[in-house]
Amino acid sequence: MTENTVNMLKEVQDQEIVDPRTGPIAMRLSDVSVAFNGRMAVRDVTFDVPANNVTALIGPSGSGKTTLLRSLNRLHDLTKGAKVSGKVMLGDDDVYGGNIPVTVLRSRIGMVFQRPNPFPTMSLYDNVVSGLRFNGVKKKSILDAAVEESLKAAALWDEIKDRLKAHGSTLSGGQQQRLCIARALAVEPEVLLMDEPTSALDPIATQKIEELISQLKSRVTIVIVTHNMQQAARVSDLTAFLLMGEDRAGEQIEVAPTLKLFSQPDDPRTMDYIQGRFG
Amino acid sequence: MTQQLTPQPEITSSDIRAHLRERAASTVRRRMFTSNVMTVLCWVAIILSAVPLVALLIKLFSKGVPVLLKSGFFTQLPQQPTLFDQTNTGGVSNAIVGTIAVIVYAILASVPLGIIVGIYTAESDSKFAATIRVIASTMVGAPSILMGLFAFGVIVVQLKLGFSILAGSFALSVLMLPVLISSTEIAVRNVPTTLREAGLALGAKPSTTSLRIVLPAATTGIVTGAILAISRAVGETAPILLVIGGAYAVTWKPSDPGSALSVSMYQDVASNYDSLKDQAWGIGLLLVLVIFVLSFAARIWAARKQKVQR
Repeated sequence: MTENTVNMLKEVQDQEIVDPRTGPIAMRLSDVSVAFNGRMAVRDVTFDVPANNVTALIGPSGSGKTTLLRSLNRLHDLTKGAKVSGKVMLGDDDVYGGNIPVTVLRSRIGMVFQRPNPFPTMSLYDNVVSGLRFNGVKKKSILDAAVEESLKAAALWDEIKDRLKAHGSTLSGGQQQRLCIARALAVEPEVLLMDEPTSALDPIATQKIEELISQLKSRVTIVIVTHNMQQAARVSDLTAFLLMGEDRAGEQIEVAPTLKLFSQPDDPRTMDYIQGRFG
Repeated sequence: MTQQLTPQPEITSSDIRAHLRERAASTVRRRMFTSNVMTVLCWVAIILSAVPLVALLIKLFSKGVPVLLKSGFFTQLPQQPTLFDQTNTGGVSNAIVGTIAVIVYAILASVPLGIIVGIYTAESDSKFAATIRVIASTMVGAPSILMGLFAFGVIVVQLKLGFSILAGSFALSVLMLPVLISSTEIAVRNVPTTLREAGLALGAKPSTTSLRIVLPAATTGIVTGAILAISRAVGETAPILLVIGGAYAVTWKPSDPGSALSVSMYQDVASNYDSLKDQAWGIGLLLVLVIFVLSFAARIWAARKQKVQR
């Protein structure tokens, strides 16, 4: 951790830390475990995701951050031999309860991936509205409005509004990632999952995405996986720290308001990790 | 056990350095020599492998071009040379039309089917799909005359449809199907998983994801595979020879007996007249040109599409 961040955190130590979980809750995880072919990858994770806040999942490689994230929008359904147990609630709906179709669920919980993945055969316009079209929206006025609105929300409108017919591959990596954010926002999700969204980007593009994350809070609840502790400290309100247990399954060590977790963690392992003693 | 060193007071560090430099220089000389020998060997190998290819092309063009330039080659029906006029071979209009007809009907039957089945085997994890996959990859290597025998057994004998263009198309379809299935499957599988996940994460159904994201992204590979399958079928002889009938008539009708370039070529070579044997070179050249254009088109298509996507 850099000296700046340490100083910043020291300053805030004296402040009163408000736990975002005292407000409305967007998602509730209880005893969530994920196993692949019988081998546990994540065990018994339980915490609440506060609405309109940024929740960061941090931990060393292999601690199950991404695996946990992908269980929230049922992306493990595709993987043969993957089994998710425990309970995930989105508002009042049970994600794994079978009452809401998985397609509806996934349009309520958007996702942004590690590497920008715009659809290569579609124009920028088509990329943004793809989620709407997949779900049957055809009206041009709605699509047009959604394009402008979500590109503005993703801070990309001014850069590409004159060439919406171009292909996604004509954008820089950072722009592509913001395009993917716009595409996810266009279906108006309640929660946005971000899986290390800046790991393939340069520092300037990373900074832009981080600024964007802070702006998007008011509109959508964000859960972000990050390798980068400074990033978690900069963008998130709540942080969950995971660590690989003895049987190599990821376990939840501590979940706390970000300021608290980075300044006065309860668990000595959290302290070791944020001070860079391992991982 | 510690190693005992023999004291060598007369050898100084500058001696060691001088010895090392000398050894290094000799190593470099040895490597240069090996490198030169290997370069020469490579060139010899390249020339040896190019000789038959170049010789074939020279022979093909020198013998074939005059035939292609002969009046009536493209427009006339074949003529049987007589003892008095041995050069009167006519043309191969029947075979040109026959080849186009056989190929077009075969494409209509096999390309859509092959692509659909290829997508299915790429997308499905079922045992059935796995079985089709194994059968397709085995049949890719099957001798092509087997397809002719199959067409003969089914179309000519069992269905009693006779020797016909249809039977030839059937044989070529069966020949192209496994190639199309395999190439489509590979193209679909090469689409990055992350694109599929992006579609699903937007709330698209798996079938929507396949049709509207994966399939467009795989188009380049699918079309390239299809063109290569077609160009392979164009030059096939054995499967058509058995069932097409070898008729001297220009016809597009599937139920008629017809001919094809490769079949005419075979008949010409087997004839007793040198003029017909010469004509075979012209047919060969024509086939090579068609296949060249097709595979060139496949390359251009692939390169152009790739540019759009990168």
